[in-house]
Amino acid sequence: MNTALFAQLVTLSSSVVLLFGITLLWRRSLTAYIDAFRWQSLVLSVLFVLIGYYSNDPELYLVAVFFFALKVIVLPIYLRRLQARVKVVNEIEPYINIATSLILAGLLVLLAYAVTRPLVAVSTLPTRGGLPLAMGLIFVGLLVVVTRKKALTQIVGFLVMENGIALLAALGTYGVPFIIELGVFLDVLMGFLVMQVFVYHIYGTFESIDVNQLSELKH
Amino acid sequence: MALLSALLVMTLVGGYGLGALGALLLGGRPAGRFITALGGGVGALAALVLGVSALAAAETMPFDWNAAYADNFLSLTFTVDRLGGVFLVVIGLVGLAVTIYGYSYTAAYTGRYSLRLLGVLINVLPLSLALQVMADNAFTFLLMWEIMSLSAYWLVLTESDQPGTVRSGVWYIAMTHLGFAALTAMFLLLAGNDLNASFAAIRAHAAVETALMRNGIFWLALVGFGSKAGIIPLHVWLPMAHPVAPSHVSALMSGVVIKMGIYGLVRVLFDLMGGGPTWWGGVVLGVGAVSALMGVLYALMEHDLKRLLAYHSVENIGIILIGIGAGLIFQSYGMFTLAALGIVGGLYHTINHASFKGLLFLAAGSVLHAAHTRNMEEMGGLIKRMPWTAAFFLIGAAAISALPPLNGFVSEWLVFQALLGGFSLPVPEAAAAMPLAVGALALTSGLAAACFVKAFGIAFLAIPRSHEAEHAHEATLSMRVGMGVLAVACIGLGLAPFVVVPWLARSVAGMAGLPTTSPTFTAGALIQTPLNFGSMSTTWLAVLLLALLGLAPLLMRWLRVEWRLRVGDTWGCGRIGQTPRMEYTATAFAEPLRRVFAELYRPTKELTIDFHPESKYFVQSIEYKSEITPVFERGLYEPLLGMVRALAFQVRRLQAGSLHLYLVYVVIVLLVLLIATRWF
Repeated sequence: MNTALFAQLVTLSSSVVLLFGITLLWRRSLTAYIDAFRWQSLVLSVLFVLIGYYSNDPELYLVAVFFFALKVIVLPIYLRRLQARVKVVNEIEPYINIATSLILAGLLVLLAYAVTRPLVAVSTLPTRGGLPLAMGLIFVGLLVVVTRKKALTQIVGFLVMENGIALLAALGTYGVPFIIELGVFLDVLMGFLVMQVFVYHIYGTFESIDVNQLSELKH
Repeated sequence: MALLSALLVMTLVGGYGLGALGALLLGGRPAGRFITALGGGVGALAALVLGVSALAAAETMPFDWNAAYADNFLSLTFTVDRLGGVFLVVIGLVGLAVTIYGYSYTAAYTGRYSLRLLGVLINVLPLSLALQVMADNAFTFLLMWEIMSLSAYWLVLTESDQPGTVRSGVWYIAMTHLGFAALTAMFLLLAGNDLNASFAAIRAHAAVETALMRNGIFWLALVGFGSKAGIIPLHVWLPMAHPVAPSHVSALMSGVVIKMGIYGLVRVLFDLMGGGPTWWGGVVLGVGAVSALMGVLYALMEHDLKRLLAYHSVENIGIILIGIGAGLIFQSYGMFTLAALGIVGGLYHTINHASFKGLLFLAAGSVLHAAHTRNMEEMGGLIKRMPWTAAFFLIGAAAISALPPLNGFVSEWLVFQALLGGFSLPVPEAAAAMPLAVGALALTSGLAAACFVKAFGIAFLAIPRSHEAEHAHEATLSMRVGMGVLAVACIGLGLAPFVVVPWLARSVAGMAGLPTTSPTFTAGALIQTPLNFGSMSTTWLAVLLLALLGLAPLLMRWLRVEWRLRVGDTWGCGRIGQTPRMEYTATAFAEPLRRVFAELYRPTKELTIDFHPESKYFVQSIEYKSEITPVFERGLYEPLLGMVRALAFQVRRLQAGSLHLYLVYVVIVLLVLLIATRWF
């Protein structure tokens, strides 16, 4: 595969990954959230394979397989189960309305371009075109976490942000060593399980998973 | 000589180490208490001998030890000089008494409080004190200072289940850390940012600093050392922390720990900085005069025996600072003999205060041990039940009231002589300030005497005011021996000023332009001040007093007084039965002074009278309440704390309880950091 083609493919798939992230901002149903996350993870694992093929690094195939298993299969299943258990009605009430969120997301992606400029300028990697997009995805994930009220949607936001970090690592270094990648997967899984427990507890206490109600704990 | 001092230092460290180790391993068992006391006693004796030999030695540097760690990043340097020797004597003397006293005093703590912790700390504290006065660079000094402060803090917290103890501890640790911050800043300025610089290097560096810098150093030193010494208005922790600590710890803190503030001031202002402008001395003198007067005035109103003693510590620190301030003033005009007189007076009073205040706290501890109360209104009649303790307390009370021939008299006389020398100052303003200081000092001494008449009279005389006081018992042997050590010191230091004064004069000789040979004190049995306008001999005074006492029986025989012994009630006034409720109380004793100084005390009064429902000519009960809030707590600390609280309340708004807001904080910080690294 020649480098120009590879570079174009990387930028394209990074853009798709970012787009799935932004999808979260205008969709309202939780099912749509989970689907977007699942598709995003699928594209990401394809990207891992692509980079592994280009850089001739068989370890990345293994990473892709684990990534696929965890984020395309296991986590969405758990999220569905969680959704069924706490009976979330599909409507989502963000703090900031959809139009404003989208504008903010646009500004954040611009900011991501700005802050990664020095990195892109000195980099000679063919994957450098995707770096600002990965940074943008991290910002968008944070935006979702901050502006959404339901604990479940915040979890998805967190997972999306984590995808952004994985993307940044893959693009910037052609994949961190396998053992570290494994550790990260384990962290994500554990973090997710802990959050799941918390969601159950919040639900058990407030009959709702609206984290806004947590402010009642203050006094 | 060098070999002897090295051996002594090893004995000192080894002794305290043994004591701490014994306490750690054996805990609260009697053997543990014994090892704790034995190790502490050996260490204290070594400190005492080391201090005396440093003062007596012909050559100046009997001991020198350096240790550098991690490529000179940290270096510990120790040396023993004569000024340090003076304070080693203080540490050794009080430390010895406290250790012996503590052996049986702590027995009552078995099972209630951690004797293991107490035993370790009571050895670590004097060790850090001894190493601190031997420190020869800023880092070593600050390290030992902090070990001292923290071990004292834990010692104060020993009886942490008693009400008020933890609060007092918080005040103490806050004030001491204010001081530590000031001291760290001061040493950084003084040593040109190199904390490992030796004191000799600092001495050279301090001389070339700008006036602004030197003034900054002066103020930082005053705040830093003053907060430890307990000058007004930084004294607030003293009357809180001293009463709640175990009594032998109070003796150590009041006798020795607060003296480290004095050591620091003399070391920095005189030795390292070599004196300064006249107003430095004026500030120190003024602070001293205010502390002395306010200290004794608040002591008069206290009926908690240990709080009363704590306020007297403020007073005596004031007297010491009057001497040192006068010394600084004379030094700035180049009048070195008078300067030496002022400082020697201050240092002498330092040793004296350590011995009599240590003694008084130990005696108060015996009373507390026997009567289970610190409130004087519940004591009374203790002289019959604990005659030894009463005698020791009386010696301490007479010494602190500056009665000849005891030691308090000698040092206050020296300070007076220095102040009276003020008429020869060339500047009229300064010369006029001196008589004012004389007046303040004289008033202080008088009020102190009144206060101890109250303390001794109410606590020890008359008939017991409570069940506990009625069943009080004499202190154990080791406690009596501990008090005896300090009582002997009080008498000895009073009778032998002709030995002590030349040694003290030598300890400051050569500092700040003072002549290297000791100033001319004519010190035979008659002690004469340098300019030859005052002379006094406590020895002859003592002989005279004894002779007068001896003459009394002769006189009585000559007057043919009846010799038959009669036993009866004192001051019976013809009544048949007497109850404690008829007795004069401490409150009543202090009432006239409370009225005279009402403007300062501003007491609150609350009088509730319950009349009989039928007629108001029959009273069922009368309740009278009067409280005094010290002016500095009312005027300075309360507003300050209020401000901090208000500010904290504003800051609390950040913590709104909304998860999203917290997340926004995180995101904002992240974005700001990213932007900052990009553009700045």
